[in-house]
Formats: sequence, C-alpha cells, structure tokens
Amino acid sequence: MSLLDRKLLRDLRAIKSQAFAVALVMACGLAMMIMTRSLILSLETTRDTYYREHRFADVFVRLKRAPESVAERIAAIPGVARVETGIALQATLDIPGMPEPAVGLIQSLPEEGELVLNRLYLRSGRILTGRGSPGEILVGEAFASAHGLKPGDTISAILYGRKQTFRIAGIVLSPEFVFEAPPGAALPDNRTYGVFWMPYKELATASNLDGAFNNLSLTLAPGAAEEAVIAAVDRVLQPYGGRGAYGRDAHPSHTRLRDEIRVLHGLSIGFPLVFLSVAAFMTNAVMGRQITLQREQIAMLKACGFSNAQVGWHYFRFALVIVVVGTALGALGGYALGHRLVEMYHLFFRFPSLEFLLAKNVLVAAALVSALAAITGVWGAVRTAVRLPPAEAMRPEPPANFRASIAERLGFASKLSVSLRMALRNIERRPFRALLTCAALALATGILVVPSALRDGIDYVLDYQWDLVQRHTVFVSMIEPGPVRALAEFRTLPGVIHAEPVRAAAVELRAGNRMRRIGLTGLSAEAVLNRVIGPDEKQIVLPSHGIVLSAKLADVLGVTLGDEIAVRVLEGERPTFSVPVAALSEDFAGTAAFMEFDALNRALGEGDRISGAYLSVARGEWTRFLRTMKKVPRVGSVVIKDNIRASFRKTTAESIGLLQKIYLTFATVVAFGIVYNSARISLSERQRELATLRVVGFTQREVAAVLVSELVILTLIAMPIGLLIGSGFSTAIIQTVNTEFVRLPVILTSGNYAFAVLIVTLASLLSALLATRKLNQLDLVGALKARD
Amino acid sequence: MSATTPLASATAGAREAVFTVRALTKTYGEGDAAVHALVGVDLELYRGELVVLLGPSGSGKSTLLNHLGGLDMPTSGTLRCRDIDLAAADEAGLTAFRRDAVGFVFQFYNLIPSLTARENVALITEIARDPMQPEDALQLVGLSPRLDHFPAQLSGGEQQRVAIARAIAKRPEVLLCDEPTGALDVHTGITVLEAIEHINRELGTLAVIITHNAILADMADRVLSMRDGRIVHEQRNSRRKPVRELQW
Repeated sequence: MSLLDRKLLRDLRAIKSQAFAVALVMACGLAMMIMTRSLILSLETTRDTYYREHRFADVFVRLKRAPESVAERIAAIPGVARVETGIALQATLDIPGMPEPAVGLIQSLPEEGELVLNRLYLRSGRILTGRGSPGEILVGEAFASAHGLKPGDTISAILYGRKQTFRIAGIVLSPEFVFEAPPGAALPDNRTYGVFWMPYKELATASNLDGAFNNLSLTLAPGAAEEAVIAAVDRVLQPYGGRGAYGRDAHPSHTRLRDEIRVLHGLSIGFPLVFLSVAAFMTNAVMGRQITLQREQIAMLKACGFSNAQVGWHYFRFALVIVVVGTALGALGGYALGHRLVEMYHLFFRFPSLEFLLAKNVLVAAALVSALAAITGVWGAVRTAVRLPPAEAMRPEPPANFRASIAERLGFASKLSVSLRMALRNIERRPFRALLTCAALALATGILVVPSALRDGIDYVLDYQWDLVQRHTVFVSMIEPGPVRALAEFRTLPGVIHAEPVRAAAVELRAGNRMRRIGLTGLSAEAVLNRVIGPDEKQIVLPSHGIVLSAKLADVLGVTLGDEIAVRVLEGERPTFSVPVAALSEDFAGTAAFMEFDALNRALGEGDRISGAYLSVARGEWTRFLRTMKKVPRVGSVVIKDNIRASFRKTTAESIGLLQKIYLTFATVVAFGIVYNSARISLSERQRELATLRVVGFTQREVAAVLVSELVILTLIAMPIGLLIGSGFSTAIIQTVNTEFVRLPVILTSGNYAFAVLIVTLASLLSALLATRKLNQLDLVGALKARD
Repeated sequence: MSATTPLASATAGAREAVFTVRALTKTYGEGDAAVHALVGVDLELYRGELVVLLGPSGSGKSTLLNHLGGLDMPTSGTLRCRDIDLAAADEAGLTAFRRDAVGFVFQFYNLIPSLTARENVALITEIARDPMQPEDALQLVGLSPRLDHFPAQLSGGEQQRVAIARAIAKRPEVLLCDEPTGALDVHTGITVLEAIEHINRELGTLAVIITHNAILADMADRVLSMRDGRIVHEQRNSRRKPVRELQW
C-alpha cells in the first residue's frame, strides 16, 4: 500500500461518520434502483419464459356459440399460426363456510392431448387428459390457496341450474391467469373468484355446447399484423355472436402485469435519481470541506514534486472509497429488499416460480452512476485546490471579511443575542456555503414528502372509489342480460333497501382514427349507489342524450366536450350509433364510459334489459340476504364491496404499503444523513472560532448556542423551500408512474408536510446534540494551534 | 547589484554554479494595480554554499525563493538551474524539477498529519529518483527515536526536523528554507538550524535560508539583503560561525 493510500485511509477514518452518512445516502438510492430494476428483470424474464413455454396466445375472443368447423376458417386467416377453441362459462360456486356465493370461470380441456395454447402448469395432483373420469376438475392456484383446497378435496358448483360436486384432481396455473381476477375488476379477490378446467365433453354436455365452442384464442405467425387478424376474426365470428377479438394489450391478466412493471419502471427512475443527486451533493460538501482543510497539504505535495494528476487522483479516490462502500451497501440492500418484494409479488401474480434475478448490469451501471456523481462532486474542489500555486496555498487563508449583518444594519442589533448575531454574520459572510447547507436541508425535507404523497394518493383513490363513487353494499351481475323485472325481484330479497339497474355492453369507441374497446355502462341518471363523479367531486347527472367519458379516455381518444364519438356495439344486435361527449368524469383505475340507462337500452335495441344491479342491503338482514341470494337463478356473480376493500387492503395495499415504508425509511435515513453532515461540516469549519470563544470564557452552552443558532436559522429557511421541492418531486414521480390504466392523483396534505418537518426537526435536534457533544470534547489548545 | 558582481564572479571559477539568475523580474497584476515583486535580480548560487536571504516583509525574499524552487514563473529574465531553463519550463517540467532537485522547508512544517514521521519522509522518497532511506534522513536530523510518531505527537522543533529530513531525503540540489525557525522558540530553532547546517556540510547541498533574523547571517557563507525586489547588499563571511556560537 502506498503512503498516499495510507494517508487516504487515515483521513477517511477521521471523517468516518460523515463518509458513512454519504455512503448510506448513496446506498439508499442504489438499493432502490437495484431493487426495482431487479424486480422488473425478474418479472419480465419470468413472464416471457412462462408465456413462451406455455404458449400464451396473442389474440383472444369470446362468442355465443360457433360450430367446431369455424375454427378451420379462423386458422386459414393469413397471419394466424395456431388456434385453440374451447368452452368457457361462468358457474356459481358453493363454498362451505362462505356466506356469499363465489364465481368460477370453468374452461374446457381438449378431448385429445393437451391444450395447444395457454398450456397449464401442474402445481400438484395430476393433469386431466382426454375424457378424464367424470366429476373431476382442475383448480387455479390462487383460488385453491385462498380456500386451502388440495387435490382430492371436493367442490360444489351450479352449472346451468344443476348443482354438481367435483373432485379436485390437480392444482394448476395458466399464463392466461397470472393475475387471477374477474374480468373488468381492477383488484383480485381470490376468495370469490376462481378459474377451473374440466374435460370438454362434460362441460359441453352441461352447457349444451357439444360440437361447438364459445371461446377462442390464437397465436400470430411471425410478422403478422395483429390488427388485420383481429378484424378478420371479428368478420368470421360476427354471425356466431363474437364479442370482439382483442390482443394481449387488452388482456386483463397481461395488462395488469404490464402496468405493475410500468409502475416499477417509473419508480426505478424517479426515486434513485433524487437520492443519487443528494448523494452527489453530499459528497461534494464533504470533499469540498476535506480539500479546503487539506489546502496546505496539497500545496506541500505539489511543492515536493507531486503532479496535479497525482494529487487530483488521490482526492478522487477519497470519493471512490465512499462510492465503493455505498455501492456494496446498496447492492446488499437492494438484493435483500428485492427478495422480500418478489415474495410479495407472489400474492398477486401466479407464476410457476418467480425467482429473484439480480439486475447485474444495473448494478454496474449504478456503481458507475454514483462514481460519476461522486467525481462530479469532487471535481470542482480538486480543481480549485490543484490550481492554487503552492506558494500561495501554503499561507494561511486571509482572515474572513466580516461585517454587521443585514438585520443589524437595519437596526435590530440590540434585539439580537450575541450568538444570533454571530450566526447571522457567519451566514452572510459565506452566503454560498449557507446556500449549500440550506439546499441540503431543503432536499432532506423534500424527499420526505414523496413517499407520503404516494400513500395519500392511494388513500384518496380508495376513499374516492369506495365512498364517493360506490355506495352500494353488493353488486349482482346476471349470467346474461335479462328483463328489467329482474330488478323488481332483487328488490324483494330480504334486507334490500334500494336497487339500481345496470346495463353494460362491450363496445368499440372511435373518434377519427383513434379507437378503444371498452365496457359501456348504463346507469340511472341520478344513481345513488354507483355514481359518476366529475373533477370537482360532484355527481354528474347522466343526460338522456350523450356519453360521459373518463377524462383519461377522452384524452386517449383525443376528444373533448361536444365532440361526436362513433360507437360500435360488439354483442347482441351489434348496432352502431354516434353520440356527443356530454361530460368528463374523474376516475383513477382504467378508463370508463357511461350512458343513461334508458338511453343505452334504446341504443342497444334489445328492449329494456339489465345486466346486473347495485343493491344496498340492511346490515341486520345480511346473512338472510346472502343465503337467499345463493338460490337466485341467472345470477352470475355477487361482488361484496367490503370484501373487495378488505382483500385490497390485504394484498395491494400491503404491497404498496411495503414499498412506501421502504421509501420512507430511506428518505428518513437520507434526511438524517444530510442534516448530520451539514452540522458536522459546520462544526469542523468553525472549530477554531468556537474554541477561541471557549478560551475567552464562553460556557459550553453559549458556544453550542452559536453553532446551533446557525443550523436553526438555516433549517427554518430550508423547510418551506423543501416542502415546495418535495411537492415538485411528488408531482414528477407520480406523473411518471401514471398510465392509462393506473393513475394516482397528487395529494399533498398538511399531515404529510408536518411529518417531513417533524423528521427534519428531529434530525436537526439530534445532529445538533451530537455536534455539541463533539464540541465539548474539543481540544481547546489543539484547535487554536492548528492553522485551520 | 553591480557592486556585488565582482565578488560573485571571483568565486565562479572555483565552484560549480547551481543557479544562474539574470535580470529576473516578477510582476503581479497589471497597470496601476501591478506589484513589482522582483526587479532585475542577478545572482549565482553555488554547490555547498549556505546562503542567508535577509530583508523586511514584502522585499521579495519569498518570491525569489519560490522562483528558485519552481513554484512560480518569472515575468522576464533568465532563471536556470544547471542546464534546466526554469523560465521556459512547463507545468510538467517544473513538477519534475521540484520532484528531483528541490527540497523545501516551510515555516509551518506542512507535514501530513495522518502520516508518521517516517511515512512523511517516505512519501517523498517513493517518488524521488535516487533517494536515501527515510530512516537515514531522519537520523541526519537526529530523530531516530521518533520514527513512528505522528506530527501531533511531536514538538514544533521535531516537526520542523521531520520536514528537513523530508526535504533532503531525495538528495536535492538545493534546500530552500522559508523562515524555518519562524514558528519556533530559540532553543528549538537552534536544533533546526543545526540540522540544516549539518546537511549542508555533510552532503554538500546548497542551502538557502530566508529569515527576518539578522543573527543568522553569521552562520552563512554569503548573506544577501533584499529590499523592494532587488538584492541591495551582499556580504561574504570568511568564516561560518557554528549555530551554537551565534549570539541570540
């Protein structure tokens, strides 16, 4: 080890707590970057492998009924590689011990051999092939684990009005259901919704679909244009009640997974960027101070024949040691946290196995980025130091130029204490340094705002969704749209206080050359159970003519109030019509389109029908309601709002909560690091001055007051600026995270601000305490002798 | 300056000149704000000589020393050390010159606080062309027992002697000492000057000492007095007084 290296290590040891604070801040940024990038890598790699090995289809379509021969016509469409047909139907499940009915989507297995597309992965038990033995079924893993089902257990389902009991042969996974949630639902509820597979023959017999199919998926040949294939498939299937084919980008499971990855992408850039900038800033402050302190040593080294390059490299390595420690800590932290999060993702996304993959190239890139950050931080200080002619550098710095502070010049002198006066003069004498400290403290305050803003945004969305928009107890959907009199039947169920009809239809909205497929929902004009809310949180009364779009959908379609939209219905009589945009609604998950109930029914041209109903149910009658509900025919699913909310709290909220806690912890660490470092730098810069004060008779307390006053003044200035910066950070980060499918509002609460202020205040107090303790250990004579 | 020239040239034949300085000027700043730190200095310095530079603050002593040591560049004039043209050297050339040929001793020692005495010396011997062992250099200044002490554990005089050991360990052509006793008491100052005298005698190194203290004049071969950037007086001692015998 060369002597300069030895010097380096000893100098580092002397500032170990500061160097460690910088390394820690850097580690936080890197850990977050490595954690999120590794998660992205893990999810993408696992997904791609799974999709490929289990042949996830490219295009999907549901229809009413088509004879098997139609499949050949689909296969003949240019660009189609493989076609899989089958039956998919919804059944009501009766789960012992569960008061409300659950819904199962049962899909068929081919009569011969395995599935060609969307192949199953067997988790336990055995796969069913061919005709199988009657009464056997495969269960999706999410539902099975929510109910503790194992192979050999039995389960009851009502298939076309007939209750049947099945024995579970195996627990399986499907690439079609990585995210196992009912169609249209933003959130999973694995207790009330599950996917099942059983042999074609048995399912076809039960549903009168023998020799026919109602579900089709296909893969595209390499280079095939998806849009053209979808259009051709729709043409072929139109006579058979095709509901409109869609690609992966509209596939519920796939889009959900893609959105999660998108959110991670957003977070993997915003947060680490902020943290690494802060780290660069701190490295700069620490190194700047070190180099100033070593001004004479640098001059001596140069006088003795060390070149500028040698001296510069020496100080760069100073920063590099910090980078190496920071990177090592960050890599370890990112690895550990990534592992933990991967386990959590298992709650939402069902893969055969979700292995944690460390994004090694990101690790290297991250190390380079922080090295660069540190070098940028050191560059200025080193340049100033080596530029100084040695002869000049060896002389003590000229005494600082002091003068009365502005406050004093304005005549407030008599009102200021000596320590306050000294603090003010010190700030004014070196405004740039005060500015830097202020900026550091503001950053510390700012980064604390972001994680809480994320949390508050989510809370707002939940309250919005479940208190402002949805006020029902339960949503009941019918297997097929039925006559309006069904609503009257719902009203007679025990405990039902109020019932409101819902009409829904799959449609294609077109404005110019922009197009979206979406479920168009018809609600009562002034519905109270599921309301359409405008940007001002006021209810929008649905007009008898016109369509209400969520603001994001209007944005996607490029339309505004008054513009006409072409609507093509993808089911039933398949009418097409055109409506003006009557209002824009605000919602945060996905996109939506609404029409007034009667207006939609008129447009659909099938008479007065309902697809389901929102009910509010008296609490006391709840059990009786559910018991009766299980026996009502034609009911497809029963969605209990509180269950969804509870399930959300248990899963999604927990995951976001965990991420938010990680970020908050990091932000707190960084805030402490910044404040502590600022206090330490301020202490070391003023050691001599403070020692002099002690020598001339100031008490420890009085000297501490001088040091602390300055920190307090700067903290007070920095905090409001920091809150502003934090609000800016929050807005920027939330906007990168927001997509067409997931949106968060920027919610900045006084509670959030108060928390940031509290943490920075605590950090300042603690740092001041530590600095004061150092101050009390000050070697008075030594500090005076040293030519600082 | 002309008055001093005959004396200087009288010795020129007998001794090898290490430095040759002709019409050296150094001006800081421009126009009205210009400061003339050196105004046409002519000088030769010889191997084995011990030269004391006297003069009040601002007389140009340190500027001259800095030029001799390759720490500063002249505005005009000739400045050569052996066959190196210091007035024309670039940054790299000056660095190499300082590394190989110059030993500096500063008023405030300028030791690296995080390195021991031995390490402070070794720091320089690591980059020098033909250095002596750090231990030997420290022995020359009488610090063998304090090899592994950090600067903070040494007295001022001891620190200055470490600085001298550091300066001479590279076997420099010239030892340049800027107020080497300026920060020391008389007793400690004597030990430091003895160390310089010892090195000068034993190794034959040209030593140039800047001082305010006229008493030091008696220990020199030659005494140069400076004022307003010029050498205004040169005195040649027929006999160098040992440091111990100086009248403090």
